Amino acid sequence: MAIANPIAPPAVSEETLQRPWRFDVFARWPWLKRLVRMRTFQFLAILPNLLLFYLFLIAGLFGTPVGNRNIIIVFVWILWWFVLITVMVPLGSRVWCTMCPLPFFGDWVQRRAVVLVHPGKSPGTENRFFGLHRRWPKQLSNIWLQNLGFLFLATFSALLVTRPIFSAVVFGVLFALATGLALVYRLRTFCNYVCPISGFLSLYAMTSTVELRSVDKNECLKCSSKACIRGSEKGWACPWNVYMGKLDRNNYCGLCFECVKSCPNDNISLFVRPFSTSDVILRGYDEVWKACIMLVLALTYSVMLLGPWGRFKDWANVSEVRNWGGFGLFAAGQALLALVIFPGLYYLSIRLAKWYAKADSIPTKELFLKYAYALVPMGLLAWIAFSVPLLMVNGSYIVSVISDPLGWGMNLFGTAEFPWAPLWPEWVPFIQVPILLAGFYYGFRGMHKVGRQLFSDPAQLYRSLLPPAVLLLAVTLVFLKLFVG
Amino acid sequence: MRLSQIPKYLLVSVLLVVGGLGGLVSAHLGRAAAHERSFTITAHKYAYDPPVLRVIRGDRLHIRLVAKDVTHGFYLEGYNLDAKARPENPTFWARHPSEQQDYKEVEEISFVANRTGKFRYRCSITCGYMHPFMQGELIVSPNYLYSAAVGVALALALAMPLIFGRPAAGGQS
Repeated sequence: MAIANPIAPPAVSEETLQRPWRFDVFARWPWLKRLVRMRTFQFLAILPNLLLFYLFLIAGLFGTPVGNRNIIIVFVWILWWFVLITVMVPLGSRVWCTMCPLPFFGDWVQRRAVVLVHPGKSPGTENRFFGLHRRWPKQLSNIWLQNLGFLFLATFSALLVTRPIFSAVVFGVLFALATGLALVYRLRTFCNYVCPISGFLSLYAMTSTVELRSVDKNECLKCSSKACIRGSEKGWACPWNVYMGKLDRNNYCGLCFECVKSCPNDNISLFVRPFSTSDVILRGYDEVWKACIMLVLALTYSVMLLGPWGRFKDWANVSEVRNWGGFGLFAAGQALLALVIFPGLYYLSIRLAKWYAKADSIPTKELFLKYAYALVPMGLLAWIAFSVPLLMVNGSYIVSVISDPLGWGMNLFGTAEFPWAPLWPEWVPFIQVPILLAGFYYGFRGMHKVGRQLFSDPAQLYRSLLPPAVLLLAVTLVFLKLFVG
Repeated sequence: MRLSQIPKYLLVSVLLVVGGLGGLVSAHLGRAAAHERSFTITAHKYAYDPPVLRVIRGDRLHIRLVAKDVTHGFYLEGYNLDAKARPENPTFWARHPSEQQDYKEVEEISFVANRTGKFRYRCSITCGYMHPFMQGELIVSPNYLYSAAVGVALALALAMPLIFGRPAAGGQS
């Protein structure tokens, strides 16, 4: 740990940073532990989504091309997206990964089981796996692929969220990739390193109010079986390759609860904790860039989809308008902003912070990585603010499409003709303002928390916080201008 | 929260209120006299021209809606107005959606901009792929919400050291 001022008293330890209060959910409600320990638990969680996913693919391929009349667009990009970003991630961490249908067939071919466990030996595990079971290349064992994949998909977001066929093809490709990679590589390689959805879930799960952790880490150190990561006759080896004895962030835990089943010491539990307080450290440039990309995309989506400017919509809507020059400008501009300009501004703020705080003993890289957590709650809350009007304005499409999921003129529940009726749209800005202000508050709070670890001199701490805080404030003001101004 | 922290939270609250009020006052001071304003809004895939209408509270707006390519809607949030226009039609159809189901043929819609803030007008008739995102903005000044939000954001920035305090050695601040 770097201490900027050697004569000052020691700053706050990392252990203290990681441990605010937490509430043991399984101890309070043991039936929940019994539920997740059932071997059928994850299958039952995935099954409804798998059936829906199948329906969505059918609707995307054979249903109406009108997006707001097709269930794949309305359910995925209005309902699912809203619930994912505003409820599941902040309140349930990666609970979507518990029920995600994409890796279902991959798991199946790897395990040759849907519910049961196969004890046995495959490299690094106490379970019998099938397929080639190769290791994913070390150079790709980060979230860069997810970063670039998400940015690439975001370039086509105007098509993705309005064209049923495009959504169906993208989900189909992800589904095939998840299955194909499971045949070649071990465990959930797709989820860990490739899935673009998993990439941003990993980042924003850091803020979540729940965590799956060992009750007592000393117990893990004494444990010789390491069944949480290696598996046992009771549970599969961790599909995310996570060792609970060292797990201190939500990023790469997909909440499959296999470790709860396999732990021989009954030492793993689900905890409730305060929002955006515990996992406050980004550990690599890939994670920092993910935070930058996501924040920039919240901004560009707000301009392109929710803004009044037709030119940007035309540029993004390339398959209809066919303005390839405009599309190129949009794609390049978005990529430049996400990969170079915004990270560059953040880097500049860190250089200024280092200079202003006279923090010569702290490497720029360390400050760059550690203060970047500020972008995580800020990004999540910006996405929530962006998503509020999606549901409030276009939510009524859910009611009509439920009766006519493919837009074929059916009327299954008598609601097919339900008119488009925005829900209190004039109140949307009043909801967005406190969300954006909360993003600024939590961003600063996270940075301050990490800063306390680096600086014990208050003046030095606040000088180091000033430049990145100005950047956070500027971002907040830009979002306020877009949504309310 | 400890009792000793109450003055701190009180001070922070006062700062935020002052920031918000400062924003409100600055918006109020910048207000101007109301006028009659006429706009012709051209709707085309997937935008309105002009995309943004800036008016002053009390302005009486006269809006004529023209559709350029296909039938487009014009749902103005906050003002209980919905209209639709067909291409090459000199007139269009309007209604107050909370009061009437049927549209009436009109040459213009007229109303007083008596609510301040930013209000979107959106296409209410499915007009193509990007239809759900076809929208424009009516900004009625003084925009109290925006000014207050900026004031609170600035006050929050100033209040941060007060909220989080000094780092105590080896413990919580």
